[in-house]
Amino acid sequence: MSGTIQDTSVDAIRSWLAGRIAFYLQRSVEEIDHDLPLVEIGLDSVYAMTLSGDVEERYDIEVEPTMAWDHPTVNALAGYLHGVLGSRG
Amino acid sequence: MRYPAFALAEHLDHGLGDPRDPGRAASFARCVELDSREEFPAEICAELDRLGLPRWYVPTEYGGELRSYEELLHAVRILARRDLTVAIGHGKTYLGAVSAWVGATPEQARRVGAEVLAGSVISLALTEREHGSDLLAGEVSAVPAGDGYRVDGEKWLINNASRGDLVCVLARTEPAGGTRGFSLLLVDKRRLAPGTFRCLPKERTHGVRGADISGIAFTGAEVPAEALLGPAGAGPEIVLKSVQLTRTMCAAMSLGLADQALRLVLDFATAHRLYDRPLVDLPHANRTLTEAYVDLLIGEATSVLTARGIHATPDELSVTSAIAKYLVPTMMDRAIPRLGQVLGARALLTEDHADGLFQKIERDHRIVGIFDGNTLVNLNTLVNQFPGLVRGYRRGVADPGLTDTVDLARPLPDFDRSRLALLSRTGCSVVQQFPVAAAELLDLVEAGVAPPALAVQVETLADLIDGLHERMAAYRPSPRQVPAEAFALAGQYALAFAAAGCLHLWLRNRHRLAGGATGPLWADARWLRACLHRLIGQLRPAGVAGSAPDDDGEDYDRLLPDLRAQHREGRLFSLLPSRLAEAGTPPPDPPSETAGQPDEQPSRTAGAVTQPSEVVR
Amino acid sequence: MSVDTASVPGQVADAGAEPDLETYLGNPHDPANPVSFPAVLAADERGELLAEGERALDGYGLNAEFVPRALGGRFDRADRLAQVLRAVFRRDTTLGVGYGVTTFIAATPVWTDGTAQQRRWMADLLLRHGKASAGYNELAHGTDFSRAELRARPAGDHYRVTGRKEMVGNLARADAVTLFARTDDRPGSRSHSHLLLDMAALPAEHRRHLRRYRTAGVRGVLLGGLEFTDCPVPSDAVVGEPGGAMETVLRAFQVTRGVLPGMAVGIVDTQLRTVLRFALDRRLYGLPVAELPHARTTLVDGFLDLLIGDCLATVVARALHLLPDQTSVYSAAVKYLVPKLLQEAAHRLSVVLGARSYLRDGPYGIFQKNLRDLLAATLTHASAAVCQATIIPQLPRLAQQGWRSSPPPPPALFRLGDPLPPLDFGALGLSARGVDSLTATLRGYLAEPGAQPAVARLCGLFTAELDRLAEACAELPPRDRTVIAGRRSFDLTDRYATVLAAAACLGVWRHQRDDPFLGDVPWLAAALSRLAGRLGLHPGTAPDGLERHLYTELLARHRDNRGFDLVNRRLAG
Repeated sequence: MSGTIQDTSVDAIRSWLAGRIAFYLQRSVEEIDHDLPLVEIGLDSVYAMTLSGDVEERYDIEVEPTMAWDHPTVNALAGYLHGVLGSRG
Repeated sequence: MRYPAFALAEHLDHGLGDPRDPGRAASFARCVELDSREEFPAEICAELDRLGLPRWYVPTEYGGELRSYEELLHAVRILARRDLTVAIGHGKTYLGAVSAWVGATPEQARRVGAEVLAGSVISLALTEREHGSDLLAGEVSAVPAGDGYRVDGEKWLINNASRGDLVCVLARTEPAGGTRGFSLLLVDKRRLAPGTFRCLPKERTHGVRGADISGIAFTGAEVPAEALLGPAGAGPEIVLKSVQLTRTMCAAMSLGLADQALRLVLDFATAHRLYDRPLVDLPHANRTLTEAYVDLLIGEATSVLTARGIHATPDELSVTSAIAKYLVPTMMDRAIPRLGQVLGARALLTEDHADGLFQKIERDHRIVGIFDGNTLVNLNTLVNQFPGLVRGYRRGVADPGLTDTVDLARPLPDFDRSRLALLSRTGCSVVQQFPVAAAELLDLVEAGVAPPALAVQVETLADLIDGLHERMAAYRPSPRQVPAEAFALAGQYALAFAAAGCLHLWLRNRHRLAGGATGPLWADARWLRACLHRLIGQLRPAGVAGSAPDDDGEDYDRLLPDLRAQHREGRLFSLLPSRLAEAGTPPPDPPSETAGQPDEQPSRTAGAVTQPSEVVR
Repeated sequence: MSVDTASVPGQVADAGAEPDLETYLGNPHDPANPVSFPAVLAADERGELLAEGERALDGYGLNAEFVPRALGGRFDRADRLAQVLRAVFRRDTTLGVGYGVTTFIAATPVWTDGTAQQRRWMADLLLRHGKASAGYNELAHGTDFSRAELRARPAGDHYRVTGRKEMVGNLARADAVTLFARTDDRPGSRSHSHLLLDMAALPAEHRRHLRRYRTAGVRGVLLGGLEFTDCPVPSDAVVGEPGGAMETVLRAFQVTRGVLPGMAVGIVDTQLRTVLRFALDRRLYGLPVAELPHARTTLVDGFLDLLIGDCLATVVARALHLLPDQTSVYSAAVKYLVPKLLQEAAHRLSVVLGARSYLRDGPYGIFQKNLRDLLAATLTHASAAVCQATIIPQLPRLAQQGWRSSPPPPPALFRLGDPLPPLDFGALGLSARGVDSLTATLRGYLAEPGAQPAVARLCGLFTAELDRLAEACAELPPRDRTVIAGRRSFDLTDRYATVLAAAACLGVWRHQRDDPFLGDVPWLAAALSRLAGRLGLHPGTAPDGLERHLYTELLARHRDNRGFDLVNRRLAG
């Protein structure tokens, strides 16, 4: 996936993230509450780290594996990633 | 729906009471405490005397109630699930007396029977400090003296050697030894001259810490001529035949211990939460539980067939008893620690978690594989019979008794000791009739009666069993230098027996057992599919070829409701309906049961235990 | 660090040289030695840590092994730490756990994230033989730290701690406790902090010791519990950032989990020696047991398992220094696989020992103790399932890139004698980011022009296995990439760990060309075949005489009283 130009708007990132989380939890995207802490949705601490791997693959950047610990909701993560990607230019 | 062979087991379990009730003499808490104090469970054994258990150690023709080894199997199983030290400490009298049932004159056997019924403790003394399982190297000697024999030497690692009133001793009666150079003497310790014997101190053991595992040393002990059991020189032969009976009972001990281990872990897994869900809902954890359950069902099928075979196909017991004694303890030696992984560090606690019972079970169980002929001895017995087993398989030999063995509703013929043999002339009918059973199964699949997945499993098994016999045929026997590969083949043969046995059992009993408490297990053959899945996995080396990529082990998952129901309802983890003491007092036996169920046969054995137990002494 | 030789069994030959713990503990079979097997067994029966053993370890200054050299200790190499502790585990696992590991686990988070002052304080405490306890476990939550309930609420310039820790080693006699506490009520991974407690300074009325937990294995280890009620703890007790404990744990435990299996190798070293002693002494059916083919195969297999386990353990310990960004996977793999291999080996050995494996007295009594202790060591500090669950989320990414193209590891990873750079706790990565240099060793060897055909053929089995694993991991359904994964994922971690072990063996063999045994092909071929067999692959028939070759080595080591591990050193006695 890396190398392709990805849409880095907050909305695009948010819906991509929600899609990944829905994928792991085997739920529909609509069920993912963007403001609920990921642990409460069912993403445990260890596998919240998996998300950072997905991010690195998709956007070809390095993020902290604990990214999802510090930005524990879909909205928080999307905002954070948008900031990182924006500053990259 | 009843399964009459459980009657004695239920009688004992309910008689001893709910083991979770600390007020009971035979509670888990009490058994763990006795173990940690290394104290013999005398009170519980006395309770078993009151419940009349010794009567089931003595065949009816010698004055007791022992008609069915299937029934005795479950009795031993139920005692072991409560406390192995009790099962051994009490059950050893059967072991001490069995040589009389197999090899003594009827008059002698009646005398031994009277001793057992009177509550005497009899022990069996085969092994010696320096020779272990190499019985023909034994040094204890019995030399003719006066009217009887003079016995010298030491027997060591003997259960109940100190507590026993009588000891059945294997002694060298020809200085040169050899297969006709040893005899069995039933030594009455109460009549030995003082100073001519000495009981050795109890050995401190890894598990069964309360058991009286000690020894006895004779110095010029004089015993009368009638102490000789069977003909002079018949010792090894009687022993080799007797162990065919007792080894089956060892398998029962493994079943009982593993049953309780699984029960404990289920208790925990339903109550404990991890990652916000009950542990039992985590796929990895519940797979460990269902795998252990499947192991138990395989072990039960193997043991029940072997025990029924004592009556129906005794000529093949040299093979089947070795299989049961090897396979069931070996499987449970693996299953129990795996269950412990689910408990985590709690598995180690000796006081704090569930009375500290799990660690005791784990330690206790290790002895089952060691005593009464260890793993290697049993595998060796099979290796020695490879040529006959291959012949029997190629010719499709079937002992006529196979039908009685596999059909649980058929009454069993009385045990006939004259049919015991050191080598099986007919090989092993259960395995040899696998192709016939497989064909029948394929027809059922064709007819839409059995699930198609079973056809694939059975065809896979057919190939594996064929291949196994080819490798067995290629093995060239060398009596002393048996290579590790031959032992591995023998281990696979045991798995093949279990697989074939499961198939026979399902085919012959599926109609009658489709109703009742364990009905769901039988209805869509779900237990059979899971058992065959597991056995195929072990017969075929793991690996890429091991399981199809889409195979996620749903066969196991489908058993989870059955497992949980049996746990909840206080039943043995079993193919057959039972009722443990935890489930409360059983309702009185209804006078008649619905026809067409396993107990439509004359319910002799069940009748015997529902009578009020007399106090024997 | 001076060694007090007044009250200890052995003599250190040269006071200037590094003290040698094995020599120091003396002959295990000498009844006059206060840390002999009989003494160890007697202490186990009493449920005590052997007091003379603790004195000996104080005298040797074992705690210094846990303290980084920069802080005045002797810790500069994780592989060496495992080897030093192996001498203790060879003698008495209870001492190893109850004196050693417990303290090491408590200190590591401080080395990882503590302030200079905290590090100094912990170092000084250990160097004067103090005891530190690792306050993590709560029975209700077990391995799931993120649910830990013991709370520390900020209150002015201090915290107030309420809650309990259970089944924690040495708690009742600890001078320091590294306490894992909830500092935020919200769920998640930023809600816990480490507090470093100076037990002497805590007000006694706010804490209560729970009664001791008794266990079937490592019976002498003092497992205690502690209940805090509104107990004041100064704010500067926080180790690292408040809320940072989960992250600290994920780094620090890479070190402890990475090193423990190498210590446990010592347990089975003793098991193998005990059974070999029996097999040589005992005659069955007219022959020494060791001459019976099945017994011989079991002994040789046990030897191989020990070598395999030590290869993986040693390489992973070295990786903590050399490949710290990859050890999140390796340390979980080694803690999963090595104890399992050791346990299987011990079980098979018990079959050879027969009834003697069940007796607590007599010349082989140590065997049953070690069986119990090994089980305890396996369940301690992350069970198999916890380790596997750590690997599972990383599998898809490893499969996608790491197993196809990762940079080869530096040769120093396998050069057992080479010095190592200091262990940088902060550099330990929380995720390997899909990189796996250890398995790259296998592909690297296949690409070498001078590769030995027999070795290359075996390596090919494992690279093919990696390809299949990569496919299987790519196809994992979503849920199977998480901690609630099903058996399929757990089985994949088992297979992957087995490939890692093969790569470790290959690497060790390639880089010990001067060692007449380790540099030679037979042991490697046998080890790789054994691992291939574990995967259900067909390694082909072993060459004639392979077993004899290995048995000869085993016997030679036994006759010279040398260890059966990679170190192959002379033992005491």
